[in-house]
Amino acid sequence: MTKKKFDLYDVMCMRLMILPFIAAMVLKILYTPASEGIQISGALVYWTIDMPLQPLYISEAQVNSVAVVLFVLGLALFLTHGLTVKPESKRQIIAEMIVEKVEGLVDENMGERFHEYGPLIAAVLAISGVSSLSSLLGLFPPTADVNIIAGWSIMVFALITYYKFKGGALNYVKGYFEPIPVFAPLNVISEFATPVSMTFRHFGNVLSGVVISVLLSTALGGLSNLIFGWIPVVGSFPILRIGIPAIFSLYFDIFSGLIQAFIFAMLTMLNISNGFPEEAYALRMQKRAIRAQKKKEREELAAKIQ
Amino acid sequence: MVLEVQSLDIVSVNFWSILISLINLLIIFLIIKKFLFAPIKKVFAVRKAEVDKVYDDANLAKDEAEAQKSLYEEKMAGAKDEASQILSNARERADRMSDEIIADANVKAEARYKKAEEEIAQEKKKAMSELKDDISTISLDIAEKIVEREINENDHEKLINEFIEEVGESND
Repeated sequence: MTKKKFDLYDVMCMRLMILPFIAAMVLKILYTPASEGIQISGALVYWTIDMPLQPLYISEAQVNSVAVVLFVLGLALFLTHGLTVKPESKRQIIAEMIVEKVEGLVDENMGERFHEYGPLIAAVLAISGVSSLSSLLGLFPPTADVNIIAGWSIMVFALITYYKFKGGALNYVKGYFEPIPVFAPLNVISEFATPVSMTFRHFGNVLSGVVISVLLSTALGGLSNLIFGWIPVVGSFPILRIGIPAIFSLYFDIFSGLIQAFIFAMLTMLNISNGFPEEAYALRMQKRAIRAQKKKEREELAAKIQ
Repeated sequence: MVLEVQSLDIVSVNFWSILISLINLLIIFLIIKKFLFAPIKKVFAVRKAEVDKVYDDANLAKDEAEAQKSLYEEKMAGAKDEASQILSNARERADRMSDEIIADANVKAEARYKKAEEEIAQEKKKAMSELKDDISTISLDIAEKIVEREINENDHEKLINEFIEEVGESND
């Protein structure tokens, strides 16, 4: 077995993965205002474009999202470069493992009918996970912006509604008046609560991590000033800020981010497959088949008469 | 470099941001589908075809081997029958031979036995006649002594012999 060499293609893929993040970091460093004290705010806005309805902000979150997209593109290209029938490279084994795990997850939670959902679930996991992990580079995690997650949730909501409509429009409307018509407003609220709750769960978790990290580092700065402040030169440097926030970052950035990505993917799968009315759909397909057969018979009859 | 910096509120809803994020998700979905899942699935399909082929070959070989095995078994069963046939033939022949030998031996023994009996009878006769002679001589001697006179041997021998013969006949 010859070891595969790292060729130009791989280098380009790596560049595609790394450069956008470096660019985002540079942009952030250039734009971050010199400030004193704590500051908990949303994403920095780099550029504003006037658009109908609302101005379009090219904010940190947007830039980082694009970086995430490019990173995933680079990663996918890198992992699938030089595939062989007999897996020889580690990256191929990793890529195969990813595909198999995601498909296994989809089959387990959604059933065979939704087998094609593997790429979507992998996309949700990748975009959410990489976005949350981008905070490790000191960037603003896109998942801490409510709009970003709202976009994904709306996508999921559209899919849920699409599958509910597969049982027939009448059945869909009827679903709101069950078990008794009085429940209609509650049903409407619960329907729209799904994407909203998905959005705020993810957003809140990531944002709380960001906020706690800021508070923690500020508190550590103050504490360090209190303890070591009397030392002439070193005292002005916040010694306690070194290292300790990293331990908390392990939880807030890595663990929490990945868990939230997994939860979001899980909820996507469960909501889509639970919303799908299997029986009504089967009944509808049956009726449609019968109708098609009858139509065919009638046409044949007409052809015979002629 | 001094830039005018503005930052968003922590929670600020913006329609365009939502739309862009939605499009980003779609793009990532397409990327993953086209560049990750499609090639890997293709590899899986090729591998599955290869594995299927290997299995088919193996099944074919197995079938062949089984056919050969049944053929051999048939042959073996034939050979066994043949062997038992040969064995039973040999046994039969051996039985027949042994019977013949025993019969032969019996005949020979009987003949020998008869011959021996004849010899014995002859010997007996001879012994008897010798005994007769002896007894006649002895009885003559005894009679001589008893009578104490010479008896004409020739006159009386005939008489004595008759007597002894009578005795011998009754003794027989």
